[in-house]
Amino acid sequence: MRIVLWPAVALAILAGPWLLGGGGAVFSAFVLIAIFATMAYGLDVIVSDLGEVSLAHPVFFACGAYATAISTTRLGFGPVESFLLTVLTALAVAAVIGLVTLRLREFVFSLVTYAVTVVAMTVAANWAFLGGSDGISGIPLFSLAGWQARTDRELWPVAWALLMGAIYLVDAFRRSGLGQRAMTVHLNPELATMSGIDPLRTRLQVFLVSAPITAAAGWLYAYQRAYISADVLETYFLILMLTAVVLVGRRMLLAPLIGTALILMQEKFLSFGGYVDSIVLGGVLILVLSFLPGGLAGLARSGLKMARRGG
Amino acid sequence: MKRMIGTGLLVAAAAFAAGAAWAQDTVKVGVIFPLSGGAGPQGQHIAESLDAMATMINDKGGVMGRKIELHVRDDESTPAVGVSRANELIGEGVEVIIEGWNSPVTLAMQPVIARAGILDITAISKADPILSGEGNPLAIRFNSSNALDGAVIAKYIVDQGATRIAFLTENDAYGNGAQASIEAALNASGHAYEIVAVEKFPFDQADFRVPLSTVKAADPEITIAINANEGLGMPALIRQASRSRLPGTLVSAVGTVAPSVIEVAGEAANGVVGADIYFPQVEPFASNPVNQAYVAKMQEMHDRTPDKFMALAAAALQVWAMAVEEVQSFEKEAVANRIRGGSFTGTLLGDVTFQPNGQLDSNHYLFTVVDQKMVVEQ
Repeated sequence: MRIVLWPAVALAILAGPWLLGGGGAVFSAFVLIAIFATMAYGLDVIVSDLGEVSLAHPVFFACGAYATAISTTRLGFGPVESFLLTVLTALAVAAVIGLVTLRLREFVFSLVTYAVTVVAMTVAANWAFLGGSDGISGIPLFSLAGWQARTDRELWPVAWALLMGAIYLVDAFRRSGLGQRAMTVHLNPELATMSGIDPLRTRLQVFLVSAPITAAAGWLYAYQRAYISADVLETYFLILMLTAVVLVGRRMLLAPLIGTALILMQEKFLSFGGYVDSIVLGGVLILVLSFLPGGLAGLARSGLKMARRGG
Repeated sequence: MKRMIGTGLLVAAAAFAAGAAWAQDTVKVGVIFPLSGGAGPQGQHIAESLDAMATMINDKGGVMGRKIELHVRDDESTPAVGVSRANELIGEGVEVIIEGWNSPVTLAMQPVIARAGILDITAISKADPILSGEGNPLAIRFNSSNALDGAVIAKYIVDQGATRIAFLTENDAYGNGAQASIEAALNASGHAYEIVAVEKFPFDQADFRVPLSTVKAADPEITIAINANEGLGMPALIRQASRSRLPGTLVSAVGTVAPSVIEVAGEAANGVVGADIYFPQVEPFASNPVNQAYVAKMQEMHDRTPDKFMALAAAALQVWAMAVEEVQSFEKEAVANRIRGGSFTGTLLGDVTFQPNGQLDSNHYLFTVVDQKMVVEQ
């Protein structure tokens, strides 16, 4: 069943923009949803499987965006080389952050990872190597083997492939020994230690799996936007990915994708303006974290149970 | 029943034909400014101003016989949102996009709009890289550049003989560029001065008490406030500077204090010095019949006297329409090449000339706020 269902879902997503009319705005929306959902999948691994809330993930997103911007504009790298550099940069930064935060838990872990993002934003906005406050412009079109993605319509297959790759990786991670060890460490650290699992090593390994996924989103975002500045470290991206991860429900494979799509649809069709949208997003985050630990899916399940009892 | 269905189909066909005819008779103009958040009020005023100018142009027959239809979007002062809105407008088939309050948002939108082959006119954003050609090889900008602005503020400092200078600077492409241009102009003048304090802050900051206490302790003769958040940050900065009894003169960066800022800042704005490039009631604008008609239209439609921001956006639409009429085409390159390095007579700003890089030439006028009014030095 799974062998048939997942390819069908993947193909339905690929065909989505054409099924919805095939307009330029539809393709742009799908490309952005794919990029931001990929960004959220990296964080999902930390939140859902490790049980921690990392506020440093915009840094990994920025790693991908800046590695691509710098390597394509100054070194003439193509998408493959810039992707490899993105992964290496993200792994290096994740190793440092992972080692620093290895023994920290919950509130302190979140606080330290947030401090990392604040420091990174200040550095990015003021360091000439990263373009300072002017940012880096002139990022070339996505070109591979003589083919160029001039529009979001042409970039959509790449964004789709990136998204599918992220979903596959997260699924494979959850089925792997590392994924199971991470859950054990998350749910019962004492049991994990007694079972011979090294919690610190597991946490670091999960961080190293998570960071390149979020960074890969930054890689494609750089090509899509053609300009990168310190704004990629703004709270807009942090709140977006956090809300996308918790909105629908944790440890559900399509939840970050559906969450990202819902948020971007709200932003596009039901926007109340900058400050109000931030309040709405922040409010949703507080609501879900405080009262709906199972997300919208949990709410739907409770509703169904009540309806059955009532029937 | 059959007759009812027949009539219904006929009405639907007529409505479809009318819709198609309307679509043929209109030209879509995209507009992207912050309509919410700190710069939201100013962005809304700009949208009103473009509405007034579109009406003026449409009343005279439109552009190449087609009525202007504005498609207005809110960039929320956030680059990522601005890019999304630009993509939306590209998808809707606009012929031109008039945009730009925040430089980081403009810089993010430029490549996306340029790649789509749509003409991109920046009305307000000031950062120098906007005209570098990297993001948009056919860039056009109406607001004065940081370099020109810096020279004006530097001249004021030299004329005052001030030597102890402090900066309160927005930490982004606009703010840092503005400060750099003032320093460059001061250095070029040979004037001996000392920077006694530099405090930087993000665009959306509204509490300046800590940076102001640092600046106050440095005892500057002139403090230069560079803050493009005219809806929230700049009025807050002016009020807090007044309350903290900041020594010396508070000088606002060119074009950052509009009447709307003074309205919010209240009495605290008295004594603030600034410079700008457009004042509706001051010569040479006051006697310009096109400007008079525009000011009257703004008052008639929106009960508002235009400020520099509104006038620049309206002028952007007016000049674009003039260029299209002259080249008899909506084609991006033809229109852009007519504007860049070209001159136009009879605009609401008077006779205007653009530099080859797309920068509009403008004259600066110094003003001081007295009794909550801008008193312009002629």
